[in-house]
Amino acid sequence: MTQSIITQFLSGFSVVAILIIAALGLAIIFGVAGVINMAHGEFIMVGAYTAAVVGKLGGNTLVAIPVAFVTVGLLGLLIERGIVQWIYDRPLETLLATWGVGIILQTVTKLIFGPELYYVGSPKFLAGGFRVIGRLPFPWYRLFLVIVAILLLALVFHVIFKTNLGLEVRAVRRNRAIAGCLGIDTARVDMAVFVFGSGLAGIAGAVLAPIKSVSTAMGFPYAVDSFMVLVLGGVGNLWGVAAGAGLIGEAETVLSFIFNNVIGRLLVFLFIVVTIRLVPKGIFGYYERR
Amino acid sequence: MRKIKRRTFLQSCAAGMGGILAGGTAPYFFTRSIARAAEGATIKVGILHSLSGTIAIIESSLHNAELLAIEEINAKGGVLGKKLQPVVEDPQSMVQVFAEKAKKLLLEDKVVAVLGCYTSASRQSVLPVFEQHNGVLLYPTLYEAQECSKNCFYTGAVPSQQLDDFVPWIINTLGRKKFYLIGANYIYPKETNREVKALLHKHGGQTVAEEYSPLGATEFSTNINKIASSGCDVVFSDLVGDQIVAFYKQYREFGITAKDIPICSPITTEQEIAAMGPENAAGHYTSFDYFQSVGTPQNKVFVDRYKARYGKNAVTNAVMQAAYFSAFFLAQAIEKVRSTDADALIYEGLPGQEFLAPEGLVKIDEKNHHTWLWPRIGRANEQGQFDVVWTRKNWVRPQPWVPYLYPNKTCDFSDKRVVERLKKPWSQEKDRSGTINM
Repeated sequence: MTQSIITQFLSGFSVVAILIIAALGLAIIFGVAGVINMAHGEFIMVGAYTAAVVGKLGGNTLVAIPVAFVTVGLLGLLIERGIVQWIYDRPLETLLATWGVGIILQTVTKLIFGPELYYVGSPKFLAGGFRVIGRLPFPWYRLFLVIVAILLLALVFHVIFKTNLGLEVRAVRRNRAIAGCLGIDTARVDMAVFVFGSGLAGIAGAVLAPIKSVSTAMGFPYAVDSFMVLVLGGVGNLWGVAAGAGLIGEAETVLSFIFNNVIGRLLVFLFIVVTIRLVPKGIFGYYERR
Repeated sequence: MRKIKRRTFLQSCAAGMGGILAGGTAPYFFTRSIARAAEGATIKVGILHSLSGTIAIIESSLHNAELLAIEEINAKGGVLGKKLQPVVEDPQSMVQVFAEKAKKLLLEDKVVAVLGCYTSASRQSVLPVFEQHNGVLLYPTLYEAQECSKNCFYTGAVPSQQLDDFVPWIINTLGRKKFYLIGANYIYPKETNREVKALLHKHGGQTVAEEYSPLGATEFSTNINKIASSGCDVVFSDLVGDQIVAFYKQYREFGITAKDIPICSPITTEQEIAAMGPENAAGHYTSFDYFQSVGTPQNKVFVDRYKARYGKNAVTNAVMQAAYFSAFFLAQAIEKVRSTDADALIYEGLPGQEFLAPEGLVKIDEKNHHTWLWPRIGRANEQGQFDVVWTRKNWVRPQPWVPYLYPNKTCDFSDKRVVERLKKPWSQEKDRSGTINM
């Protein structure tokens, strides 16, 4: 029993990793540009289909990651320039517009690839696993997911805290009007952030495709999970993403093990509701300076 | 009475004119009158499957199979010298839209029958419509049974047809007795598992655990960990849709092979195997009445025609096959009674109808409107197909209520008392189920 719980805790890390990978793109776009991107799940879906195409052409997941980042990033650019840039200051409209974009993306994907589930294989060199404790090996691919999550978090931290663009992004996040007055091109920052966030969603799709199912409707559950992570962790803070994903992922795996999946999920939702009641802005919520 | 104000009247006139102009060559009511004029030459058949939304993944293939069957019937000269004309509606995977579209097909298009629905929820939402307006529905999905409707003919398997032989076969031939049951959290898996547990009790097997996963959840590391530490020697899965793909993939990812603990399922088809990759399915078992690899001559013709029509990578499966032969049942029934009258079809045409389907000779039961089928067990191979490892020597009677769980329940549409009750107008007698408690 103890052994199983330890194994469970370990595989919980991979679930946390999946949540972080899926939520990062949404967190950045929501946190900086202030856009609730309802098409986030579909961005992940497009990333997964990109991985499927790369797989058909003979590449593996490592090739698919940069390809998906660029493809979905360009898609994000198109959507930002074409639609979102005109409605940044109207939250309700961005919500509806990105939702519409999501529906269009689903339909177009279905027209191109057909409605059936799509096959994406996992890379050969990551097959199998290593024994830690207990009966089950820990799969290499799950370890790979954990590493990807850490690298992505590090990358985002680097961009936000160590580059000039990051400085501008933080300035815009703090006070858009003053940042503009000081000569920062806020529209350009918004665009960069939207494209970067979209690209991250693409990566999420590419790395999740080999162990999950790929279909045009696959994005929705990831979008829901991502929103839960943000709401719990707090919008606009990267530590919030890590904390939210960590709490939800571990709580859900351990509770599901002790009780069952349905009750596990239920308790996690309950936990989120109570947390929001006590800390409305999330655990690492960002409080505006007044 | 509602008064028509002059302004609203003018507005609707303007809107109507606009509609005609915008519609170009053939505005709505013109096409309708043309359609009505041509009505004598064709027999309309409704096709009601989602072509968009979440369930479209599977339902569009049923739609394809039914269109293929109708084309074949028409190529052989149609029915009563007339062509069958498919009237296609897309209920968009939304339960309430199914009912609306069914109503439209029955009242507006006046179709002779509807081939349609996939999920139990959609069937249950359209049944009252068919019962009230006395339509005929042919429903192709395997489902949890325990239902009978005068207006519905069920051409898919009921659980007993898939489980009665499968569970004892796992215990005796595979020699595995400790079952771990995992399913999606809704009615079909729960009812199926009820029967599995009863059969395990009867044949000396054992239920180690029974678990349900929320619909749409695709993370199974927890369940797989539990399976590994539970001491079971076989997993019985009634997960559905994209869950199947994620579960089999992660099962192998965590290093459990089909040799250690095989997965046995009454619902995993060739379609899901194509999506997960044959390497993830090889060695696991499925019980169905039909597999694409079934060796009958009529199946070879069916698969060849399907591939010729929909591409060489198209795969067939059990539900599609049922959808396919449903259309032939309907055509033969209309020929038999030489009429398109619903009551004639329901009481004389369809019951007892036989057809040499890809899986073998199938028949609609005279009493309960379900279908006699040929249970088989398949083991998935490296090519993404099933090797049929066991076939029943005779076809199996459909039992909507299995006697070992529901000893006193059955339905019988050939029973005089039931027919009398059903012939009363709908407003007086709303129970169309044909069930009798003995």
